[in-house]
Amino acid sequence: MKTQIKSSLNAGITFGIVSLFLYLIGFTTTASQIIQNLFKLKPASIVLGMDSLVFSFSLFIGLIGVWAGVNQARSQKGQPFGTVLMSATLTGLTHGLIVALVAYITGSLNASGVKMNTYLSQLLPASVKLFLFNQTSVLGALSQLAFLTLTALLGGAVTYGLTVSNVFGKLADAWHSLWKQVNSVPAVARFRASPYFSSVMYGLLLLVMLLVPLRVGQYWNYTLGTVGIYVLLGLGLNIVVGLAGLLNLGYVAFFAIGAYTVALLTSPAPHGLVWNFWLVLPLGILAATLVGVLLVVPVLRMRGDYLAIVTLGFGEIIRILSKSDALTWLTGGPKGVNNVGGPVLFGWVFNDVGYLYLIFLSVLLAIFVTRRLQNSRVGRAWESMREDETVSRAMGINILRHKVLAFAIGAAFAGLGGVLFAARNQFTGPEDHNMMVSINVLSAVIVGGMGSIPGVIAGAFVLKGLPEILRELENYRVLAFATLLVVMMLVRPAGILPASRRKFEHEKGRAVPGEEGAK
Amino acid sequence: MATENKVNKKKVSTYKIVQIVLGVLFGGYIVWRLYQILIANPVYGPDTWLRFAIAGIILGSVYALVAIGYTLVYGILHMINFAHGDIMMIGAFGGYFVFEALKNISTPTVADPKLNFLNAHPIVSVILAFVVGVSVAALSGYFLERIAYRPLRNAPRLVPLISAIGASIFLENAAMLMFGAQRRDFTNPVVLTRGNGWEIPVGGGTVILTYTGVLTFVLSIVILVLLYLLVQRTRMGRAMRAVAENKNVAALMGINVDGIISQTFILSGGLAGAAGVMWGIHLGLVYYFLGFIPGIKAFTSAVLGGIGNLPGAMLGGLFLGGVESLGPAVLGIDFQLKDVLAFGILVLVLIFRPTGILGEVLSEEKV
Repeated sequence: MKTQIKSSLNAGITFGIVSLFLYLIGFTTTASQIIQNLFKLKPASIVLGMDSLVFSFSLFIGLIGVWAGVNQARSQKGQPFGTVLMSATLTGLTHGLIVALVAYITGSLNASGVKMNTYLSQLLPASVKLFLFNQTSVLGALSQLAFLTLTALLGGAVTYGLTVSNVFGKLADAWHSLWKQVNSVPAVARFRASPYFSSVMYGLLLLVMLLVPLRVGQYWNYTLGTVGIYVLLGLGLNIVVGLAGLLNLGYVAFFAIGAYTVALLTSPAPHGLVWNFWLVLPLGILAATLVGVLLVVPVLRMRGDYLAIVTLGFGEIIRILSKSDALTWLTGGPKGVNNVGGPVLFGWVFNDVGYLYLIFLSVLLAIFVTRRLQNSRVGRAWESMREDETVSRAMGINILRHKVLAFAIGAAFAGLGGVLFAARNQFTGPEDHNMMVSINVLSAVIVGGMGSIPGVIAGAFVLKGLPEILRELENYRVLAFATLLVVMMLVRPAGILPASRRKFEHEKGRAVPGEEGAK
Repeated sequence: MATENKVNKKKVSTYKIVQIVLGVLFGGYIVWRLYQILIANPVYGPDTWLRFAIAGIILGSVYALVAIGYTLVYGILHMINFAHGDIMMIGAFGGYFVFEALKNISTPTVADPKLNFLNAHPIVSVILAFVVGVSVAALSGYFLERIAYRPLRNAPRLVPLISAIGASIFLENAAMLMFGAQRRDFTNPVVLTRGNGWEIPVGGGTVILTYTGVLTFVLSIVILVLLYLLVQRTRMGRAMRAVAENKNVAALMGINVDGIISQTFILSGGLAGAAGVMWGIHLGLVYYFLGFIPGIKAFTSAVLGGIGNLPGAMLGGLFLGGVESLGPAVLGIDFQLKDVLAFGILVLVLIFRPTGILGEVLSEEKV
């Protein structure tokens, strides 16, 4: 009993902090607006006797309340109905008390005319009012308390019902048996086993890639191009981090070198060199590769954390140099380089569709190279190096050569990405190459699954594609990635679509010790 | 690349030769530059040099405080607490809000009806700012460890590092969303107005020894001495050193290893918080990204002094502060590039002497 009360209080406090955090970063208001748009409710219309925004807000905060109840009820599996219900209610009550207290304080401060948003920038008067359901502070706080307690109670009761009747278990069984039946149909089984299966799938994918750029319009072509460039960068970093296990936080440096190479050699502005794009493309890749090799030679003996910091420092050095006054004569300084030249093929100047095809082609090339390398002697050497350097050296693997190779190939991919990026945007400048690019690419690789090609593609889509669809969430994008990085490491360190070998390792590693800390 | 059947020994010796040659070249260049700017062709007078040195030492003492946090955590967990600089930012915001709150409490007197608490009791205000800044930062350090690092204690090495990077970006962006992206002025009590101080006549001009700078320097030295005593003389310090030496044996000796790790994070968070408040008081701006660059530089200091080594981190911090403010003048490069200098030193130290100035001899495994 005592432990249950304690765990309920703990859960309540956790949820209280989460709700308050969402309130302080202004997410409650944004989420309400998103829900309002989702249901196509008109602003200031009345739904269920409430203003539509207030209705959306109650939906959002109600979901959190239900979640608190569900979460607590699930931790009380196997307990009698009364205990589960009491536990969920207690959680909801604690949650509600914390939220109501803050709602009351901010509400009364707001009512007395204190401008809180000078310090807490998201606590605009409208947001504070919304957090109180547009009521007075006392009434609003009390409604929060009651609402959160009731929703938690509801969540607890529903969870208990679902657990006892085992609805999800039965559904999963039904799905599995259905899947089995479909697979046991002779035609399907033969098709799936046939050697042409994967070719047909790839053919379909290729067809989609050919048709999509012609159909979706300029905006989506641009977005898909950005995603494609991130896939390219991700594939390169995947070789360095995912296969060879060298954490590189200055990956953007190679991207910058590719971009600046093409910019400086094709733009009329700082140097007046207007070279052909097709000539500069390999030069950009070559320059990035060269810098990759030059960087890796001094850091060959480092591992893990030190390598991460050195590469981070290197990325920053490149950025600071590119915008410093000392190198303005070379790089155009903080203003960057304009009018970067683009590719022309048989008199056809590339438009958005052309660029997208070019990017797709590069991605396919990168996938091909990665796959061939991964399954070759070199790829196996990288993976063994990642797992244990000393042992793989004892096995006769030339560590130095493979490290240099991993960095060089990773840098080449990044250089290609940089060339395409600068040419497509017709501009490049120091702020295109800040540390967030490295972090974004790293997140894509890690979230998708280190060492896995479909994982990297999925990661790039999640990181660069999703935010374009959910434009309202633009402000919360980076915060969400950061949370995702931590949560991913805690819950599923192998990624969404993990490489099979890595998945096996992580599962094996988890089963033995880690239990005592993982509550 | 060397051929595969070359003996390992030989490679090491070529590496050493390259090291020595580069070291001699670099040292020679510095000596030549010093001769140039001091004797042959002096650009700056002695007062300017003193000004640079003072600025460097003050900055260095802040770096030292942050560097200690890195070193403590690295010594125990062998991981870089990437979010450490952002904890410093949290501490700075803590101090900022205390000053802002006290500014709004009016304590009118007959002489000055507009007097507020901040100016009426500057010492109490500064103490309060430090108490709040340090506690907030220490608390964040504790929760950071509990949420982002503790569940990953036995995971492969890359995993907690990535989690730490995630935590760092999370803290930065959470602060940006909560407090806004703009830079805020850190309002000091009038007594501690930035730029005011004792004037010392040197050479042709006067050098101002600012009150805020002296406060920062003295306070960090006091904290560093207290910390050294804490680690060397107390029971808790002994337990920390034992855990750093060997976690399993420490646990067998009856030490609560998880508890000690928590305490380490609280301690290092508190130090970063104090550094953050000093940063605000001395340099006068707080914003969400404030911790990033000092964090990396403090890490550089920790590496410079030999990571895991307390006096090393202090010396490394002071050295880096000095290099940063004297270096551009000595080497004759643009002051914009002082960050490049700091990062360059980090790279050079890691390449040529990864054990740092005072570092223990690490096996290759740890580097």
